[in-house]
Amino acid sequence: MSSINAQIKRGSAELAVLTLLAEHPLHGYEIAKRIEEQTGGVLRFDMASLYPMLYRFERRSWVKAEWQTMANGRRRRCYRLTAEGRKQLAPLRAQWRAFFQALQSVTGFRNA
Amino acid sequence: MHNWELIVRKRLRILGVCSREITGELAAHLEDNYEALLHEGLPAEVAFHRTLRQIKGRRNRWLALRFLKEDLMSDFTRKVALPGLLTFTSSMVIAWALDMAHVQPRTIFLANGLFLSLPILWLCLLPFCGGAGALVSHRNGGSRLQRIAASLFPSAIMGAVLLLSLVSEFAISRFMQDSGRNWALVASALALWLTTYMVLSAISLLLGAAVAEKVRRISASAT
Repeated sequence: MSSINAQIKRGSAELAVLTLLAEHPLHGYEIAKRIEEQTGGVLRFDMASLYPMLYRFERRSWVKAEWQTMANGRRRRCYRLTAEGRKQLAPLRAQWRAFFQALQSVTGFRNA
Repeated sequence: MHNWELIVRKRLRILGVCSREITGELAAHLEDNYEALLHEGLPAEVAFHRTLRQIKGRRNRWLALRFLKEDLMSDFTRKVALPGLLTFTSSMVIAWALDMAHVQPRTIFLANGLFLSLPILWLCLLPFCGGAGALVSHRNGGSRLQRIAASLFPSAIMGAVLLLSLVSEFAISRFMQDSGRNWALVASALALWLTTYMVLSAISLLLGAAVAEKVRRISASAT
């Protein structure tokens, strides 16, 4: 059960981060903050889960990271989804949609 | 003003795994977090300690472990497995050559019929294998951790084989009645074998990797 739990957590985290980056480039803190805000605090990233995942995406060429100077003059490493990342995101979304629909039909949950 | 980069570097200084880029990024994350807490109206001291909590104790160890894993698994085949295989193959070739030349390990007899078999010449030649593995890993872009892993490959394999043989012997003996195994003696023998073929060989291989690293640094600074 715990391995299923871990897999769901990991899969959903990947989906959430890639979906956010598909909208526009963001740096690590912004990604964590937005996910926490948009999910009402249900999904929360700590540094140990977020950054190793971002580096893994970078290694697989799903994202490209670049240091950019922000409006306040600070340098932040911004992540942008690549064409390869977009290609990964489409089947991931389809899998999760199918998963939620299947779960909904069994449990009777709405907006699972 | 807190120097977050210095704080992160101090806390994640495990095997030098975190590059400047990583520490810089984590420091930026903490800085943003700290300022968001100040913006929420928290006193500076409370905001600082709450931010620091993210890289303290268990969380810090977990973060370091995750980075170690990511670092080790990055391009694993080219940077660890292939150089490691070179280390392992060369160590086995040396062992075979010594056997062909009838160079026997030195045997030290201990109590209860136990003995320690010390392949001294093989252990003396192992640093060359460890050094070669570390150099190939470096040439393929391996990090420090990956170079260490590549040079320690033979010890890991031998340790795994010895433990596997113990487990299989234990499993087989369960199907045999009155096998008469003295498991305390078997465990002692295994500990002795592990000492020679895992611990001593690991020290020898690491020594080679350390010398190779030193030579590489000297030659790099000379050019």
